[in-house]
Amino acid sequence: MRRALAGFVLLAAGLLSFGASAVLRAEPAVLEVENESPLVTFRILFHTGAASDPAGKQGLAALTAAMLSKGGSKEMSYDEIVEAFFPMASAVSAQVDKEMTVFEGTTHVENLDRYYGIVRGMLLDPGWREDDFTRLKDEAVNFLRIGLRGNNEEELGKEFLYTRIYQDHPYGWHNSGTVASLERLTIDDLKAFYQERYTAGNVVVGLAGGYPEGFAKQLAADFSKLPKSESGAQPEAVALPTPRAPEKLNIKIIEKDTRGTHVALGFAIHVNRSSPDWPALKLVQSYLGQHRSSKGRLFQRIREVRGMNYGDYAYIEYFPRGMFQFQPDPNLGRRQQIFHMWIRPVEPRNGVFALRIALYELDKLVREGISEEAFESTRLFLSKYVNLVTQTQSEQLGYALDSEYYGISDFNGFLKDALAKLTVEQVNQAIRKHLRSSDLDIVVITKDAEGFKKGLSSRRPSKIEYVSPKPKDILDEDKLIGKYKLDVGSVEIVPAATIFE
Amino acid sequence: MPGSFLKKLLGPSVALCCVALLSLLLAGCTESPAPEVDIFPYAHQVDDLPNGLRLVTVTTGYPNIVALYTVVQVGSRNEIEPGRSGFAHLFEHLMFRGTEKFPAEKWGEIMQAAGASTNAYTSDDRTVYHALFSKEDLEPILELEADRFQNVKYSEDDFKTETRAVLGEYNKNFASPMRKLDEVMRNAAFSAHTYKHTTMGFAEDVENMPQMYDYGLKFFDRYYRPEYTIIAIVGDVTPEDTRPLVEKYWGSWQRGDYTPEMPVEPAQSEAKELDVPFHAPTLPILSVSFHAAAYDDEVVDSAALDVISFHAFSENSELYKRLVIEEQKVDTLSPAYYDHRDPFLFSVVARIKEEQDVDYVREQILATCEALGKDLIPVDKLEAVKSHLRYQFALGMNSSGAIAGTLAHYLGLRNSPDTINKRYALYRGVTAEDVRTVAARTFTETGRTIVKLKFDSAGAETGAAGGAK
Repeated sequence: MRRALAGFVLLAAGLLSFGASAVLRAEPAVLEVENESPLVTFRILFHTGAASDPAGKQGLAALTAAMLSKGGSKEMSYDEIVEAFFPMASAVSAQVDKEMTVFEGTTHVENLDRYYGIVRGMLLDPGWREDDFTRLKDEAVNFLRIGLRGNNEEELGKEFLYTRIYQDHPYGWHNSGTVASLERLTIDDLKAFYQERYTAGNVVVGLAGGYPEGFAKQLAADFSKLPKSESGAQPEAVALPTPRAPEKLNIKIIEKDTRGTHVALGFAIHVNRSSPDWPALKLVQSYLGQHRSSKGRLFQRIREVRGMNYGDYAYIEYFPRGMFQFQPDPNLGRRQQIFHMWIRPVEPRNGVFALRIALYELDKLVREGISEEAFESTRLFLSKYVNLVTQTQSEQLGYALDSEYYGISDFNGFLKDALAKLTVEQVNQAIRKHLRSSDLDIVVITKDAEGFKKGLSSRRPSKIEYVSPKPKDILDEDKLIGKYKLDVGSVEIVPAATIFE
Repeated sequence: MPGSFLKKLLGPSVALCCVALLSLLLAGCTESPAPEVDIFPYAHQVDDLPNGLRLVTVTTGYPNIVALYTVVQVGSRNEIEPGRSGFAHLFEHLMFRGTEKFPAEKWGEIMQAAGASTNAYTSDDRTVYHALFSKEDLEPILELEADRFQNVKYSEDDFKTETRAVLGEYNKNFASPMRKLDEVMRNAAFSAHTYKHTTMGFAEDVENMPQMYDYGLKFFDRYYRPEYTIIAIVGDVTPEDTRPLVEKYWGSWQRGDYTPEMPVEPAQSEAKELDVPFHAPTLPILSVSFHAAAYDDEVVDSAALDVISFHAFSENSELYKRLVIEEQKVDTLSPAYYDHRDPFLFSVVARIKEEQDVDYVREQILATCEALGKDLIPVDKLEAVKSHLRYQFALGMNSSGAIAGTLAHYLGLRNSPDTINKRYALYRGVTAEDVRTVAARTFTETGRTIVKLKFDSAGAETGAAGGAK
């Protein structure tokens, strides 16, 4: 990892703290991860995002970020920027979540001046051209209608679930907005959002790699030219109410021409990385459903033993784009988080059984907790595995920014220390305190929505069909699962074409 | 960045690689001629065992982490018997079913204790098993992996269960129009070669997999052999660490004697054009494909086609600027020319906002291809592509896992890491004349297959959907 210098260097006029008790500052903060790599990585983080979208203008934060990262600057048109970046094989990408917007890019140190000169223009002197705006608005609409709703059912189910969990809450819409809200946006809305939210006091300039001395100071000075808010401080953080507590199982069935049946379920939790119970829940999450790993309990019982689908996982933080990557992206920090489970498509005839086994396993976890043996093996795994999530300097920088946000120390050290002190009793207490198998939201995507709905209310046990004989203990358990009580509060069929429209 | 300072901080191997990378790229700026320096800057050693197994050890300088990539040179390309498409990929799944010594559960426990990230993938030409872990766990993991490559064992019931996980994978991919486009394009463009089917396989073959238990034994016997396998160990290791362990655990693996007879694709004799309905809402997607050269590190054709793909069809191309940025008729445009052992396809894929513009975009792509075969591309544009290729490679070498992933790609094509340096030397030498000659040779009307996909609610695919039974 070539990290030669210990710790982070913070160059900030004010104090740097973004968690529950933000300290006002008016100037950019700088976070550095210095090393001797010939590559230089930027993560320029604004503490704003979709939660700040005004009513009726959902998608504003995302489209504003797209205009900066995929539009022209005052000095250069977008195609000139693309042409200038091309020989360097470098670019700038934007990621927008509820409370964070980050611009990320890496270049070779030889190209640093030229690259940074362009990036500076893009972020500090945007061009706000009408043709860029039209192109990027089209792109956002097509992403919702085609990329997500039309062609990515797994992500659609999960993203729709999140909006269900956060009804009447600033997290309650897709980060890209809706087709209707995007159609209402104007360039003036974007400019106003930029003026208000992209302020000098609201940015952290993250820098990693082998850049020259003085470079970080230059960035801090440049970004201090960002708009200043009237109070001279950071814009006020959006107030977050306590997410609603659903009663029983609230099920939405998205009707869509699809080959498999998809299930996602979850609920809001009052735990994030700054909470005392986070390491305990992190261990539980890894035990139950380590992302894209065969070791998780859900994967073992649903895929490995029964061959029902391709994979089954659990999460205690928002994790978009999971079908494309093994590790979560950094800089998706949120004050409020979610517990969720992802059951990849099963054969439709086993759809209701799949929902039942997911709830059965969750219920079992909540009732029985985890064993001492499972605790020890998962702890050992996570203590080593944590090293793999920060392999690149971009990941190191991203995690460092997140750790600052949550007010924790260096992520790897933080998690290892916390795991070392953890006991199985604490873990099981955290399970009882924060997890549950009822009062939650469920999203199903299937072709025969009526059939699925009937299966939910049928008095007959759900069945699973196998292509090969199964041992008696599995068949016995199947009987229990087939009868697992679904305490349904509401079921509604939703035509796919209406989602995010 | 003085070398002595680097050495002090990072040890000699890293210092060397950083300096190598730097000097290579410094001299490789767009204005100056590219130097004769190897692009792959890491110290590496190739060891061949008597049984035919090859070990490649790469010392990267990144601390603590080791990436183990086991590359088996078998992919969907090897599925030469009718009804067996998708089998290489199924077998990748079966390799996680354990052995007598280390049943799947035990295998999982040991990997878990190592905090390892493990997975595998299958492509047209190779199957790659990878694990990422801390260096102190190298020996137990090498032992574990050696055992399953020699002794994987699963019951017929386990086999059948795994075939349903593969069906689940097929089903999860079903929503993507690119999946459909790929299936149709290959099926139309190839008549004899196994690139005719995707790695997932034909839907009917995937459905029929539960009946193929016996073939699984044969497949393992043929291909999971040392002469088909290369082990790459990349990271905080040296050959002194790796070679004794690989000899100890993999040395007794028996060589096989099977060589597949690969069907040779005859030259396409006429242009093909297909309209494809897709069951879910999508914008129209157009692909224009030509039969194109296989990967090579000596003959310039495939390197020149890579240059063409960036110059003429990437985000930086004139065509992209016109169709996507200025006219805004197209929302994505990209080339698809992937390295293959045998001749594959050079494709240009565009997603078009309005159906009425599909023919216009088709003509624009064809006109671009035709012009490439007639006019010389400007030297500054050619140099920009070469610079892009070099920096793209350097920027991708940002962890031991990433270096191993790149290396595995090339080991699947050729047996040696040297192919990377040879290939990038080829790029350096590509001339505007090469580009013109190769374009004229490749972009011919008779070698062309065009697929136009659009939403049609009546376009539901038949074939054996799992739940339809």
